[in-house]
Parts: sequence; C-alpha cells; structure tokens
Amino acid sequence: MAARGKGSPAEGMERALSKVDDVPEERVIRALLDNFPTAVTDFKKLSKGVVRARIERRDIHKACLFVRDTLGFEHLSMISAVEYDDRFEIVYHIASWSQRLLLELITSTPKDDPSVDSVSSIWGGANWQERESYDLMGIKFSNHPKLERILLPKDYLYHPLRKDFKGGD
Amino acid sequence: MKGGRGGQPGQVLAFSSKDFLKWCDGALEGVLRKSAVGSGIDWLLKDFFNWATRNSIYPLHFGIMCCALEMAVASAPRFDAQRMGVIYRSTPRQCDVLLVNGPVSKKLKPGLRRLYDQMPEPKWVIAMGECAISGGPFWQSYSVVPGVDQFIPVDIYIPGCPARPEALIDGFIKLQNLIKENKKGLLTGK
Amino acid sequence: MAEMWINMGPQHPMTHGLWNLRVKVDGETIVDAQPEVGYLHRGIEKLVEGRTYTQVIPITDRLCYGSSLTWSHLYCLTAENLMGVEVPPRAEYIRVAAIEMQRIASHLMWLAAYAADLGLMLGFIYTMRDREIFIDLLQAMSGSRLTYNYPRIGGVAHDVPPNFERDALRACSYMEKKLKEYEDLFDGSKVFMMRNVDVGLLKKEDAMNLGVTGPPLRASGVKYDLRKDMPYSIYPELNFEPATHPDGDCYARYKVRMDEMYTSCKLIRQAVQKMPKGKWRVVAPRNAPVGTGLGRVEDPRGEGVMYLVGDGSDRPYRLKIRSPIFVTVSAAPKMLIGYKLADVVAIMGGLDMCIGETDR
Repeated sequence: MAARGKGSPAEGMERALSKVDDVPEERVIRALLDNFPTAVTDFKKLSKGVVRARIERRDIHKACLFVRDTLGFEHLSMISAVEYDDRFEIVYHIASWSQRLLLELITSTPKDDPSVDSVSSIWGGANWQERESYDLMGIKFSNHPKLERILLPKDYLYHPLRKDFKGGD
Repeated sequence: MKGGRGGQPGQVLAFSSKDFLKWCDGALEGVLRKSAVGSGIDWLLKDFFNWATRNSIYPLHFGIMCCALEMAVASAPRFDAQRMGVIYRSTPRQCDVLLVNGPVSKKLKPGLRRLYDQMPEPKWVIAMGECAISGGPFWQSYSVVPGVDQFIPVDIYIPGCPARPEALIDGFIKLQNLIKENKKGLLTGK
Repeated sequence: MAEMWINMGPQHPMTHGLWNLRVKVDGETIVDAQPEVGYLHRGIEKLVEGRTYTQVIPITDRLCYGSSLTWSHLYCLTAENLMGVEVPPRAEYIRVAAIEMQRIASHLMWLAAYAADLGLMLGFIYTMRDREIFIDLLQAMSGSRLTYNYPRIGGVAHDVPPNFERDALRACSYMEKKLKEYEDLFDGSKVFMMRNVDVGLLKKEDAMNLGVTGPPLRASGVKYDLRKDMPYSIYPELNFEPATHPDGDCYARYKVRMDEMYTSCKLIRQAVQKMPKGKWRVVAPRNAPVGTGLGRVEDPRGEGVMYLVGDGSDRPYRLKIRSPIFVTVSAAPKMLIGYKLADVVAIMGGLDMCIGETDR
C-alpha cells in the first residue's frame, strides 16, 4: 500500500488512496493531505501501524499542532537528525496510543542552514531531545526556551556527529 | 580576633584557625616527628597500625558504569566483601581507597581529580575493569580519556569487562598484601 | 528565608551512575530543580559508524548495563527490519524467555538500591540474593554475568543449555513465593509507607505531554505497554495483562514494578513451555540495503527506540538511540517542586535511573 508521487502530490495520491480500504493509516495520510496539500511531498506505509510522510520545513510547527490536536497523537517519541551529502534530515517519530499508530515525519534542510522550528511548546518531551540534536549535530531550533549543550562540556567547540569531524581536541 | 603565638604562661592564648594549625604542626614536628619519641612510638606501634589499616579498607561510594554493579554485588550475600573489612563511605574525607570502575569522560575528569585530592593520606587507587585501565571498548571515542592512570597514580589494576566480583575481592586481598609489604610508620613516615 | 542552590551529585550515594541534580531550596522546600547529565558520554553513536553490523552488538550491550539484553535485542530487531531477515520461531521464544528473566533481574536490582537508599538494608540483602538465581540462568545461557552479547542478527548465538526448562520453571515458582514475602516486608514497614505514599505526584496529562513512558506512566493511570499495544517478536501469542495503578505517587511506581515481576514469571512459563524445536539462527547478509530500519521495545525503564540508516555497505551510516530515562528525567522538576529535600531520594529513586543509556 505505497504510493509515491513527486510531481503533483495531491491529485496523484488521492487517486491511489481512494482504491484502498479505509484503514487507520490511510485515514491519517488523507487528513494530512487535505490540510497541507502543498507541504506534504511524499508518503509511504512502512509496515502495520507505521506511516511515513515527508513535509516541507516551513510548515512543521503547524503540522505538528494539527497532528496533536485533531488527529490525536499524544506522544512524541524521538527526534533524530541525519546528515546526508546534500542535506540534513530531521525525523520526528510521533505515536498515538489510542489508535496504536506511529507517524514518521521527515523534513529536510539545506546543508548551509540547518535550522527548523522547535516543537517543544507542543510536546514538552521534545525539549531535551532538541538540545541533544543541537549539541551533537549542530541543528538550530528557533524559539527553543534554552538551547544549550547537554551531553558535552559547555565550552566544547565542535559538533561530533557530523561527517567532517575528525577527533577534535 | 587577634592572632599570635602565646608566649608567657598564664596568658590566654588567642589564635585564628590558620595560626592554630601552624602552631600544632610546629609542636608535633619538634616533639614527635623529629625526635626519638616519635621513632620510639613508631617502632612499638607500626605493626599494629599497619594491621588495622589493611584490615579496614574504606572505599568511596563512586559507581560509574557496569563494573559498579559488580561492585555492588560484591557486598551482597553471595560474595560478601565485608568480611575483609570493606565498608563503603559516602564522603571522600573518610576514605582510604578510590575505586574507579568505568570510563572517565572529559567532562568528569576535573571532578575525579578533585575527589582524589580531597582524600587524606595514606590513600590508594584501584582501577577496576578495562575502561579504567585503558579506555576499554571505547578507547577510540572522542570523549573518553584512555585510561585513568593518565592523571591519577594507580596501585592495583583489575582486568575484566565487567570484572567479576571474585576478581574484585582478589584485588582487595592483593591491596592488603601491598600495604603489608610497604610498612611505614604513621608519624615519621619511615 | 533566603533561597539557595544545592548540588546533589555527581558523586552522591543516591545517584546510581553519575548525574547532577541542582535544587533550589527555600528552607527545606524545593522551589526549582535542574538535572544535569552528560558525565558518562562515550560517543556511542559515533563509535558505531566505524564497525560492522555484528561488531556493534557488544557496544549496545553497554548502553544500559542494568538490562543489557533489551538493548542488544532492540538493535538486532532494528537491523533485521532494515535487512529484511526472518527470524526462526525457536529463536524468538528463546529471546523472549531471556528478556523476561532480564526484566526480573533489572527490577530486583532497582528494588535493592531503592530499599538501601530509604534505609531498609534488609531489602537490599534479600533481593540481591534472589537476583543471583536469574543471573545464574542467564550465565548458563550466554556465558557472562552482566553484558551478555547473546542475540545475533537472525537469531541467538547458541541454543539453550540442557535442563533449561526444568530450571526456569523452578526459578519462577521460587520467585513468586519470594515476591509475596517482599510485599509483606515493604508494606508492613511504616517508614517505607510514609516516605512513599503521596510523595512525588505526577498527573496523567503531564506524564503524557512530557514523553514519560514505562512504569512511571503506567503508575499515573495510562494503560500503555508496547508489548501489548504495538507488539513485536512473539508477544501476540502470549497471554498477559500490563499492570497499572491510578495514583501517580512513589508507592504506585513501586507497586507497578512488583506487579511486572509477577507478569514476567507468567511470561517465562509460557515461553519455555511453548518453545518449538528447530533452528536457532539464520545467517544474515553482510551488506545492508540502502534504506532505514526502525525498532521499538518495552525496556524495563520505558520505551526504547532505535533508528538505523544503511547505505549499502557493511557498516551502519547512522544509528540513533532513544533512551527512556533521558526523557523521564527532564520531567523530574514537575515531580519535585513542592516537596522536601529528603523526598528527593524517594522520588528520583523511583524513576530507576540508569545513566549509561541517558548519556550514551
């Protein structure tokens, strides 16, 4: 049940979706597409109960608010940051306990400006995870209440998980 | 508070604490450490104090990583370490032995050196487990100091990953033998 | 009265592992709290990128050393999700039996440290003695007492030892009798009850929003257990009920962990009696495909997640680890404010902190 569309997201995916049964994973994707038609660029069902969607970084805060309030995803599980050759990707794993679903939201940022909006006002559990991504990978989260280093000493100069880090001091 | 050495008998001595300590040190130096009284007391009681020291080794409550669980199990009913006289104390001012049992990260290094400096003489250091000896499985990491003997002098090394509780008790016995061989008088230091 | 900041840690008998808790006190009452972690940071996520997929398994063992089988099992689940490897059924049953034994050993270790901190030395002595029984069983299976290196990508390393079923069933019946004794010992102690009941309240909405998972969440009344709600491995075929408690104080967290030990005994019995015959390992491919793998398990301390990115070679490209205690500790100020300084030991001890997984 995977449909990938990069050109005209809304129409292509709408047609594919209407052919399948109305299972909870499809309902989530349909709701995201209806409300953010230009921001969602890709989606895929990974396995039973796990859905992945790619979204533009300018809409991440609105999308997370929508996902928590309207779709009922109460629990932010993990925020990861991955560095590829041409971009940084920030992956949010958000879980819904009542519907037993897991949503994987992925945004990309260009290599020279790794910054994204913070979601710590939506889920309090995101606070320390964003600090850790800043500490180890150097992603800046705007509107974060206290963005400082958490695992390394406060005066450390580098971001160790980047691919061009070679030992440091 | 007026400080100064009280000289004449009958005059009330008034010291500030630093001057009092200097006066005590001076008195002890003269009477005990340098004269025959000190050597005499040491010759009489050296063996006794050495026996007391090596049978009541007090390590510090300091658990870093996996070897700390084996250290806790060593004082559990199966591998009872208290029969050697080993009791864990919480403050470094009352301890003889610093038991380092895990990898030392760069954030922890100044704190650990400070703990070592706070312990009074005579003191010993045991490096337990591979991580304290040489960095262990994390020796290539950017944030681990490869071996605790880079900034603290170590007396006993206990290998293992994690070191079994029997190995830790064997380490304590080896430390007891080490203390017995290097008998030093507590007053004169000879 | 003047307010002042007090440092509890990094070297403090309450802190199992090294972390620092700065509390702002007004007399004896706590007004603010700031936990500080990072004294055990070893850079595991960077170390993993230089090793092959099988060489990573001993490193993931040392993430949380109180329950090390859970983390190496989680890594193998994630790698199998990435590579598309199908694990034989006998290996799944062996894994579940070992994990539930590890859960009992981890909870007993927590109970020993908790009782010792609150002044009940007898609790420390009894629980450490009983924990040795499960450590002996795990040592017979894998060869080591603490960091087992037992799961492999595609199964487990060796088969179970002879007479394993008889020994495991004997251990479970012994443990159930002893659990009744512990409940009488702790519930009958007035000091233990006074230090735990109505101390460290965590409300349901706060727990859900702050990302708390595991026994602290179930002790606040939310019935969520990953083994039941999004099951992995062969948990769909096993019969059990997760334990919850409505109150949300320290006594509720203690009670949830005791009930979890009963549940684990039941699960070990079912897994050992239903174990089929067959292979216990399939060989996994050396190179992983380009893509991502995800694994989620119910650790004794909460929800553990791993996200693995493969790039076609035989070494991982990126491994991201979610540690449950990292998020639960950031919720600590909510539980501490308003209580006295002497309650810090009971509240932070009830969270069962293992700093190895917090700092990675």
